[in-house]
Order: sequence, then C-alpha cells, then structure tokens
Amino acid sequence: MGFDFNSLLAFIIFGVTIGVVYGIVALGISLIYSGLDIVHFAHGEMYMFGAFFGLVLAHNVGVPYPVALIGAMILTAILGMLVERVFYRRLTRAGGGYTVAGMGMIICGFGMSVALVNAAYFFFGAEAEPFRANLDYIPRLTFPGDINVPESYVLTAIISVLLMAGLHYFLRHTKTGLAVRAVAHNKDIAYLMGINVPLMISLIFGLACGLAAAAGVLIGPMQSVQVEMGYLMLMKAFAAAVVGGFGSLPGAILGGIMVGIFENLGAAYISASHKDIYAFLLLILVLMFRPSGLFGVEAKVKA
Amino acid sequence: MLEIKGVHAGYGNLKILRGIDMQVPSGGIVTLLGGNGTGKSTLLKAISGLIPLMEGEIIFDGVSVSKLKPHERMRLGLVQVTQAKEAYPAMTVEENLVLGAYTRKDREATKADLQKVYDFFPVLRERRKQLSGTLSGGEVQMLVIGRGLMASPKMLMLDEPSAALAPKVVLEIFANINRIAKSGVTVLVVEQNVRMALILAQYGYIIRDGVIMMKGEAKKLISDPAVKESFLGGSVSDTTKALRN
Repeated sequence: MGFDFNSLLAFIIFGVTIGVVYGIVALGISLIYSGLDIVHFAHGEMYMFGAFFGLVLAHNVGVPYPVALIGAMILTAILGMLVERVFYRRLTRAGGGYTVAGMGMIICGFGMSVALVNAAYFFFGAEAEPFRANLDYIPRLTFPGDINVPESYVLTAIISVLLMAGLHYFLRHTKTGLAVRAVAHNKDIAYLMGINVPLMISLIFGLACGLAAAAGVLIGPMQSVQVEMGYLMLMKAFAAAVVGGFGSLPGAILGGIMVGIFENLGAAYISASHKDIYAFLLLILVLMFRPSGLFGVEAKVKA
Repeated sequence: MLEIKGVHAGYGNLKILRGIDMQVPSGGIVTLLGGNGTGKSTLLKAISGLIPLMEGEIIFDGVSVSKLKPHERMRLGLVQVTQAKEAYPAMTVEENLVLGAYTRKDREATKADLQKVYDFFPVLRERRKQLSGTLSGGEVQMLVIGRGLMASPKMLMLDEPSAALAPKVVLEIFANINRIAKSGVTVLVVEQNVRMALILAQYGYIIRDGVIMMKGEAKKLISDPAVKESFLGGSVSDTTKALRN
C-alpha cells in the first residue's frame, strides 16, 4: 500500500481547523491565567454555554448564524463577568494564584464547573442536539488532490483568524488593551497608573468567556451540542495552552494548532478510537522535554 | 498641598504606621527618610490608596482623599512614581509612558506632554520603541519619573529614586527632580540616601518604627548631631579610610 500524500494533507488541514478552535479556548484560559494567575477550570462550561446560547438563538429565536455567534459571545461574556463578580472576586481580592486564596480559587473553579453543568442540564436537557446552520453562502474549498473542506470548517478558519486579529489589535493598539496588559503584568503598579483593576479583571473574564463561546458556536455545526462537551474541550485547550507556553497568547494559538494536527494524525495513522488520547500524549511529551512550553517566552518575562 | 493627620495603617492585623503627622507644602520638595522596614513604603501606599487607613485622615489639595480609590486620587493629581524596578519590562518605553496618562481624557494635551517628557529626558525619545526591560538602571528611573509626569501631577511622590544607582547617575536624577519641582510640581521624595535627599529637599521627616522620629528644615537636619550619628555615619573621607583598612 503506497503512502497517500493527499490524505495526509487533508488530515493536516482538518487538524489545523479544529486546532484553531482549541487555540481560541486556550487563548481565554491564557488570558485569565496571565491576568489572575489562576487556571479557570470552569472554562469548558463557558464554551458549552456559548454553544447552547448559539443553538437557542439560531434554532429557537431563528436569527442567522453570524448573529447567533455574536449573540452567544455577548451572552456568555456577561455570564462570565457575572460569575467572576459574584463568586471569584472575593478570592482574587485576597491574593493571586500563588497564595492560599489561589488554591481556593482552583477549587471554586471546579465547583463552578459542576454547578454550571447541572444548570445546563436543567435549562437545556440531556440530549445531544444537532446544530443545523445554514451556511450555503460560505464557499466549499477544494484543494488539489480532491480534498474537500466543508463550509463549517472554512467558516471556522475565517472567524478564528478574525477573532485573533481583533484580540491582537485590542491588546496592542488600544489604551484599554494596554491597561489589560498592565494588569496582567502587575496589579499593584496598574493601580498606581490609575487603572481600575477590578474592572479590567471583569473585562478579561468577559473577553475570555466570549472567546470560549465563539469556539462553542463554531464547533456546533461540526459536532453536536451537549452538556458534557465542556470537559474534554477544557482538557484539550489546557493541553494547547501548556504546549504553547502557559500565559503566552501566540503560544496558545500555535499550541492549539499543534494539538489539532497531532490528534488528527494520531487518529488517522494509529487508532481512531483513541482520538482523544493524542492531545495528552503531546502534552506529556512537551512537559517532559520542554516544561515551559514551546513558546513560553512571555511567561518568563513576567516572572 | 498634602496633609497627613494621625494616620495608622498596616496589613491585615499588623499595624505598621502608628500615628503619622506630616505636611507637604505646595511647590516645595519634602523628603521622608528612614531605613528598611521603618514604614516608608507603607506610608506611600496609604497615601496613594493601595492600603486602607485604620485611623486618621489624608487631605490633598483641600479634599479628604482617605476614602478614595487609587485611580480617583490619581485623577486629583496625587501621583506616585513607582520604584524603578516596577516599570513594565515587556512593554516599550512609549507604552509605559502612555500608560502613565491612563486616567487622562485630554488627548491633545497628553500628546503634548509626551513630547515634553521626551524633551525632558531625551534618552527616552531615542529608546521609545525599545522594551523597557532593556534599559539601564538610570534610564529606567527616568522612565518611571517620566511616566509619573505623564499623569499631569500636582504632586509627585518618588519611591527611592536613588536605589541601586551609581552616584553619578543619582546626581543626574536628583537634578531632574529639582527641575520638576521648579516647574511647579510639589515633590515628596522617600529616600534611604539621607545626605543627597537632605541636600535636595527644603524640609525633612525621619521615620522609624512607624512614627515620625524627627522633623525639620533640611539644612538643620543635615547638621544635626543625632542625624549625623544615626544616618550619615561620618564624613566621606572617614568612609574611604575605613574601606582601605
């Protein structure tokens, strides 16, 4: 049996597309980590809620897919800020991730994850729901060698790039973005710059959760939407963030893409039934040989 | 300009400042002196609002600021210059300066002030696209002072501007602080370098164990035997002799 170069290319293309989605969620995890020094363990649930918000908006309310995407991002951002304001703030005020309060924060995140899953069961039910989106206006891409990329994948790639470019612009070229970076580097000095630090932390949470929601709505048409979808996504996004270098935003994206490719190649050439293992295999390899992650430069500057 | 009345403050249950009274008159340079762990930094934090007061009151420009948050105090013109090590190393010089003007809404005046800061510290203009982590110690000190000026302060508080700098650079920095005061900004300098600070300032406070131990005109303090004994530690030639032996 000869080696089929075209199918390898196809696996890589699909790997990149799904990887970019992991990257978007990882971006949110990294944002929160650099802002608060905590790992937000309920982030997978934000992704799940985002997917459900998108589903409800698209199916029950009947708005077009792009509007559902933006709506879901806004709703989830509000949910995230609410959770931060009501539950996390007392703990984050008591100190960052390296204090006793930081430990409490991790447990609080797990608890929030369970609470949100149960809330989702209550509101959305236990069935997996297909996300039928009308994407006829998106062109199907055909690569040489008869590789067909479905509309939902093309859309995912386009929107992900737009989101990343938007986030990059916001962080690098706006005054508020500068303030967010200042808070991420050092909160005490940010206070002395006259920055309203708690407000910026809310904003970080809102942004991160909005990004997770976008990932949820993008994944929706590829897979189905169900309450338990958040857990696996959290783990893979976490792997992506670590592979890329925790706290580094470009690292999160590249880590996500690497996880996506690795996973698809593993599923294709080793065993498809163990698809979800490969992300963690990559994670373990990276932790063994390059614990700071592949692009963990910014994290070092911070310390 | 700034009046501190019977201030008690600290961290959690730990009280560091035990009844501080201090005045900084408009337009002058006042220095607060003391060694490590005497409460200098705590007092600065209390004035800028990073820690709450347990007792007492702080009045700035005729307004009680005791209950205001740090960014609100800053908008009134009460600006703290951070220690030099607290520039943002992963940001460029210009980003650091822009951040200093974060609370300001007057864009045109801010832009003009950025140019003024560059005129004041030409080396910062040369290095404006460089990450501030790549600057020398003296340059970073100029950067944090410039960052303070960007907030258009009525009063500037400096936290150990001479720390970890070569004597020649310290002279340059202190000359700049003098220029800033001449331009009409009230200055409070917190220092360990007692001799330099007393030459620069008109009035001095000496803090120890969270209380003001001594205060007076800088000229008098510098020749006061008690100050000489505990801080100045003999003349320069004595120190040189001691080093050679």
